[in-house]
Amino acid sequence: MTGGAWLCLLAPLGGTSLITLCGTRIPRVAAAWIATTSVFVAFGGAVWAFVSLRSQNGHRGEFTTAWTWLESGNFHAGLQLFVDPLSTVMMLIVSGVGGLIVLYSIGYMDGDDEERRYFAYISFFVFSMLLLVEGGNLLLLLAGWGLVGLSSYLLIGFWHERPSAVEAAKKAFVMNAFGDATMALAFFILIAHTHSLSFVSGFGVGLSPTAVNLVALGLLGGAAAKSAQIPLQTWLPDAMEGPTPVSALIHAATMVTAGVYLIARTHFIFEQARTVELIAAGTGALTLLVAGLIALVQVDIKRVIAYSTMSQIGYMFLGAGVGAYSSGMFHLMTHAFFKALLFMTAGLAIHALAGEQDIRNMRGLGRLMPFTKWCFLAGALALVGIPPFSGFFSKDSIVASTAALGTWYGWIFWVCGIAGAFLTGLYTFRLWFLVFPGEPSPFVREHHHKHHGREGAWTMLVPVGVLAVLATVGGWLQWSPQWHPFSDWLEPAARTLAVAAPTNTQEYYTSVATVLAGLAGIAVAWAIYSERKLAIPAAPFWRRTLEHKFWFDELYDAVFYKPTAAFAAALRREFEEPVVLQTGPDLGRTTLETGGFVRRIQTGLLRTYVLFLAAGAAGVVLAFLIAK
Amino acid sequence: MNASSLTSILIWLPIAGAILIWILPLSRYATGSLALLFSLAEVGFWIEQAARFDFTRSGLQMEERATWFGDLHVSYHVGVYGFSMWLVGLTVVAMAACTGYGFWVGRDRSRAYFGLMLLLTGATVGVFVAQDLLVFYAFFEAMLIPLYVLIGVWGGARRMEATIKFVIYTMAGSLLMLAAIIAYGLKSGTFDLVNGPTSASRWLFLGFMLAFVIKAPLFPFHGWLPDAYREAPPEVSAVLSGVIAKAGLYGMLRIAIAKFPDPTSFYRTAVLALAAAALVYGSLLAFRSTDFRGVVAYSSLAQSGLIALGLFAGTDLGFDGAVLQMVAHGLISTSLFLIAGAVERRTTTGEFRFLGGMARGRPALATLLMTLGVISLAVPGSASFAGEFLILAGVFQRAWWWSAIGAGAIVLAAMYMLRLISAVLHEARGSTVADEALDLRPGELALVVPLVAGLLFLSAWPAGISHHSFFGQSPAASVRSQFK
Amino acid sequence: MLGPDVAWYVAVAAVLFGIGALGVLIRRNTLVVLLSLELMLNAGNLALIALSRHWHNGSGQIFALAVMAVAASEVCVGLGLVVALNRRRLSLDVDTLSELRG
Repeated sequence: MTGGAWLCLLAPLGGTSLITLCGTRIPRVAAAWIATTSVFVAFGGAVWAFVSLRSQNGHRGEFTTAWTWLESGNFHAGLQLFVDPLSTVMMLIVSGVGGLIVLYSIGYMDGDDEERRYFAYISFFVFSMLLLVEGGNLLLLLAGWGLVGLSSYLLIGFWHERPSAVEAAKKAFVMNAFGDATMALAFFILIAHTHSLSFVSGFGVGLSPTAVNLVALGLLGGAAAKSAQIPLQTWLPDAMEGPTPVSALIHAATMVTAGVYLIARTHFIFEQARTVELIAAGTGALTLLVAGLIALVQVDIKRVIAYSTMSQIGYMFLGAGVGAYSSGMFHLMTHAFFKALLFMTAGLAIHALAGEQDIRNMRGLGRLMPFTKWCFLAGALALVGIPPFSGFFSKDSIVASTAALGTWYGWIFWVCGIAGAFLTGLYTFRLWFLVFPGEPSPFVREHHHKHHGREGAWTMLVPVGVLAVLATVGGWLQWSPQWHPFSDWLEPAARTLAVAAPTNTQEYYTSVATVLAGLAGIAVAWAIYSERKLAIPAAPFWRRTLEHKFWFDELYDAVFYKPTAAFAAALRREFEEPVVLQTGPDLGRTTLETGGFVRRIQTGLLRTYVLFLAAGAAGVVLAFLIAK
Repeated sequence: MNASSLTSILIWLPIAGAILIWILPLSRYATGSLALLFSLAEVGFWIEQAARFDFTRSGLQMEERATWFGDLHVSYHVGVYGFSMWLVGLTVVAMAACTGYGFWVGRDRSRAYFGLMLLLTGATVGVFVAQDLLVFYAFFEAMLIPLYVLIGVWGGARRMEATIKFVIYTMAGSLLMLAAIIAYGLKSGTFDLVNGPTSASRWLFLGFMLAFVIKAPLFPFHGWLPDAYREAPPEVSAVLSGVIAKAGLYGMLRIAIAKFPDPTSFYRTAVLALAAAALVYGSLLAFRSTDFRGVVAYSSLAQSGLIALGLFAGTDLGFDGAVLQMVAHGLISTSLFLIAGAVERRTTTGEFRFLGGMARGRPALATLLMTLGVISLAVPGSASFAGEFLILAGVFQRAWWWSAIGAGAIVLAAMYMLRLISAVLHEARGSTVADEALDLRPGELALVVPLVAGLLFLSAWPAGISHHSFFGQSPAASVRSQFK
Repeated sequence: MLGPDVAWYVAVAAVLFGIGALGVLIRRNTLVVLLSLELMLNAGNLALIALSRHWHNGSGQIFALAVMAVAASEVCVGLGLVVALNRRRLSLDVDTLSELRG
């Protein structure tokens, strides 16, 4: 079991090292296949770990330590993996979906002259993500957390000659560094009180209420930064500067959902700090609405999907925040399928249109790319949550668990969830109606080109097909009112709180409400964008607000970046240069000036010297006389 | 070979090498090779020392002692503790890389140059192993002579100004330290660091601390730093920030904190405030610097502040983290300055506005600078992350706000390091970057790759240093008991 | 006791010293300044010897011998300098010899 975990972790690292060390001595396509193989080997390891964990009674999990990574005083943190139901689920998702996306990249990145670097980075990302989910203590989790941030930085800025890509990469890294910092502060509190960061059961128990609230807040800060939740969300849309497979893997399927994993993993702490946990849920509810609204006005196909990702992660936060960890995790899994699918079909479209991303130019693409069209539709229906597509099963149980709370905020969450479903239907099918149906626009006719007579290389089409199937049937694994093997599997690691366990009635009426809301969204999109029966409300102020993404970027620029830069510049101008750097020379100059003054006594005239001598002697004599 | 003579060999071997190089009338190539050979032999002896070091034993190891001036109770007394052994290792490895760099770029007046580099190696090792205050002082000052000449002769356009500033700042500090040493020695009847008693005198503590905060340096005693780091030859800047600065921090640990426990707790908040100021101030200025070396120079100021924060936290985690971070940052800044030198050789400038786009077609340069940059900004999982984490966790036990300031500064570190990386490697090609500017050559790779490999090894096993610097479970207790 | 009282000797020495000192202070010719210096030294010698005799203590006489040796060496150096200056056709006026001005 632990062998599988180690294999899973180390195979992608081996892939990275091999590609880096071989450099230009291997052909590009070899680098691509090394990366793909290494990630599929990791998937094999994950399956091995999963199967052997299943065959264990009670499958509570097992630690395995390679060596002590960091040790000081009575604080130890091993290079330690933790194989339990939660981490095996994540391992399977990360390496499985990751493998498909890396395979897809072979076709997508074909012809880029820095392909080897891309594949080294992407297998490094898979390694980091696996370290994050397998790490057996919070310190290793943080290490993985930082390394996924690093690989995300490297991959967003992959086309480093584009200034916008470099800026986006830096922004993503810095906002995540902020999250890392709050998490580190939370760990310091834990270390000060318990001397340990290990996941052994019941860690963090026995802290004072203030301490545990602060720890939970710190963790929430990290989770919100990584998962692009308000107020740390602004980096995610910009991150779409990276290659599309990167958006699919990092900014949809795996890394951005790490915040949900973190809450599920540290639920011991969040349950002791129930207020903070509900703040997490509230953050999710707010984000799912705000992101859904912003998605309505975006015109870049990848940005629409990016906002949809933020919105869906909002659902997961909502689920994990109210205490329905397994529902949040289940949505994480189905979301990985359908969102990766959406990004990859968008990638097919972008590829076929030679890099065009503006949806206003794409009308009628479906006629030329039927496979892409149907796969996109499967992903879109799963996203909106129409049965029997996968999103229906996972999203509804999250919304139902808010109903189970039965408190006033529970009902607010419930309404947000339903409203979010409506928005999801609206923006998803806005995208659909603008891009796929109808007669191809002149732009599409002019720019569309086929790849060897197909819609893309087989390495791209196969993963899309597999994910389309998964996005359709992946949800059947669990329909919480009737069968729930997924929740049962996760129960030893993250048991759903009793307050967040909905009754079957709640499940049913919530399902009806969300499906109706989603269908309503689709209908409105159809009326506006396909039939043009409804006009878009003018409301220029609201439109501008949405186009400016509620002015978060402008706000942060004005409140954080500009003052810091101005303060640093002022320090340099007003203090460093005149005071610190000049003190030495000033002291030197003062010494010289004093010397220059004393120098005037040295006239060079013998008689002056003698006079001083005589005066000195007289002075001494006088002094002796007086003293006597 | 007797284990205890290893310590003396580490000091005197390079000095003997320096004298040999000054005497023998060899060609430039032969001189460089001989110097490199000596510095590699030095690394070999250090490996031998590390292999023979017994981490399960407390107290001073590989000790040697001989009376020097008997009537003043001054003796030539050297030996190593765990933490000093790591710093000696940092010194010999970094000096070997820098000597190699001088050989690679072919410094003129080679006999003088390589002799001085070897002399500097010996003197710096001497600082880290001296166990008698006068011997410590002698080596502390002896470091200055080669540096003075190295910056003043082989430096950039404004080298004289930089040299004079550097020397006067350091001399001012170390003369006060000499006064403090004499006062301490006369009062306690011995200059020995191992057997000497602790002292409660605040004045003596301040005398020592002034020398160390200038050397380290901490805000606001860093007036010499920007000029010296910019004007010195790159390999000398590398030594200055990677190794020499650590001598100041080592002094804080070995002398100021260990010998003056009461004044340390009396001035703790003040020193922590200075250290935090250095951390934030250095990070902010690094963020506004417009050239490669400026960023690295101010980030070194910030790192010195961080390490001082760990040392003066006075907790187990703080001490371990500080030692780990000294070694990690030493390797990082040495390699970064060497790469700065490589970039400047190709483009004639380190100014960001003339640089950019160097990643395209230069994979080795891009990979190494990127790796070093991200380790330097303490990306979680790296050796410097481990060090900073321990330091901040350690100082958290003193008061939470120090850690909060430190965490904020780490976000700033991400900002300035990424700015450096992008300005050199990314976006449009800079006006001074010629198409035919080469990637790092094998000679340069041979110097930087071992340092980076060392950092990666430390990233995989930071406990190798953090748990092998002080004897016993509790570093704080070890410091309190004078490392006995 | 033979001869005048010791006070007279000391008075003569003081007068000699005063004349010498005035000479050093106001004369500008190097040679005369040297002469005046010698005069001061000899005034000192006279006082030493007179007091030595008065107190019956030989140290004063020995000291006078040492002063004579100093005076001799001083004349050597001083006259040497004067000759050197003269050879280089420099003025012997002390006020123009102000190379040491800071």
